[in-house]
Amino acid sequence: VAVVLLPAVLAVEAGGRKRFELDAATVGEALRQLPVRNLLFDEAGELRRLINVFVDGVDVRGGRLLEEPLRAESEVRVVGAVAGG
Amino acid sequence: MGVVLPVGTRKGLFLLSSADRSSWDVEGPLLQGWAVYHAIVDPRDGTLHAATNNPFYGATVHRSSDQGETWERAEELGLPEDGELKLNATWHIEPGRDSELWLGGDPGVLFRSDDGGRTWQLNEELFAHPTRERWQPGAGGMCTHSIQLADGALYVAISAAGAFRSEDDGRSWTPINQDVAAEFMPDPYPEVGQCVHKLLVHPQHPERIWQQNHCGVYRSDNRGDTWERLDGNGLPTSFGFPLALDPEDPDVAYVIPEQSQEHHYTADGRLGVYRTSDGGASWELTAGGLPDRAWVAVLREGLAFDGDGIYFGTQSGSVWTAPRGGAKWTEAVRDLPPILSVEAAAA
Repeated sequence: VAVVLLPAVLAVEAGGRKRFELDAATVGEALRQLPVRNLLFDEAGELRRLINVFVDGVDVRGGRLLEEPLRAESEVRVVGAVAGG
Repeated sequence: MGVVLPVGTRKGLFLLSSADRSSWDVEGPLLQGWAVYHAIVDPRDGTLHAATNNPFYGATVHRSSDQGETWERAEELGLPEDGELKLNATWHIEPGRDSELWLGGDPGVLFRSDDGGRTWQLNEELFAHPTRERWQPGAGGMCTHSIQLADGALYVAISAAGAFRSEDDGRSWTPINQDVAAEFMPDPYPEVGQCVHKLLVHPQHPERIWQQNHCGVYRSDNRGDTWERLDGNGLPTSFGFPLALDPEDPDVAYVIPEQSQEHHYTADGRLGVYRTSDGGASWELTAGGLPDRAWVAVLREGLAFDGDGIYFGTQSGSVWTAPRGGAKWTEAVRDLPPILSVEAAAA
């Protein structure tokens, strides 16, 4: 199973849980199982612009982010983009 | 009767409560991490509803049935999946006539909930209004910020689309912008496109509507069919955002003018609430207790009233209160995060 870690605001919205263990083959499959999926994805199903995802410490970017494959022990960390000063 | 003020800030919700409107208890921040554009206590069941926005996680609505102890987020809220538009922000929540709730948002959209705010249905008729292509966003986005229910009619005001009235519970919408200026448009009196900043219907006299507009303060005595411009006569400028009324006297209104459309702070560096008691024919400054020199801003949702008092919050984090009439102001709390909204509810 992959482990998904949420930042504080999302953890509150997930009922106080910041760590989820999920069966998922890709980043998208993992994120769409979360109880906060409607905060991560907009109504068109697109990942919101200012959400970054790190898989095993690597910032996964680009159009194929959601198709990024996960290993059995992958750690997926959701992070709000650092923006501003 | 005590009062509770739900105060929405850029950094969460605060609840100010007072039994005597003189000493205040401050609870918060609740909903940390969310900018609370507007929050209400539903007078029908005491539920707190908050229009919540986050730059990372989007626009939603939260509800609490235990005075803010625990919160539930809306389960369904958004625009059609196959469309080009997305919900950019939630702006205003209004209790309905029966058990329903109404929600205004950006881009110029209206939602209705029939399950206490858990799920929200888009008002398709306003969304597909034939004039929509002539609407444009103001500096705060294209926000549906005013929702009023009165005498069988439903009103919305959108910046910058203008005001609209529905006589059939939202199934059709008529623009009500005659004689309202849009000086920033090639045609300064168009059918739609006016930049309404706040619109209120008088609770006891539903034919009388007031609006603070980008281009003046207006009053209508015929449910918005025609409008009379009221600025001058004691108002330092015609520009401002918030508006308040007196729950019993339809000739009383309050505004907080700003310097200009370019300079969003108090007119003449003087924090003051301007009051009319003659339907807008003349305005007087009520500033007792307020600082002589201040360059602050009060946003469109930042001014509230009830039968006993009037209340406003500043972008600098102060909440000021005065007994009805506004003769003497006192600072209830200071140094909150930038205040986006203030409402008043019986406690």
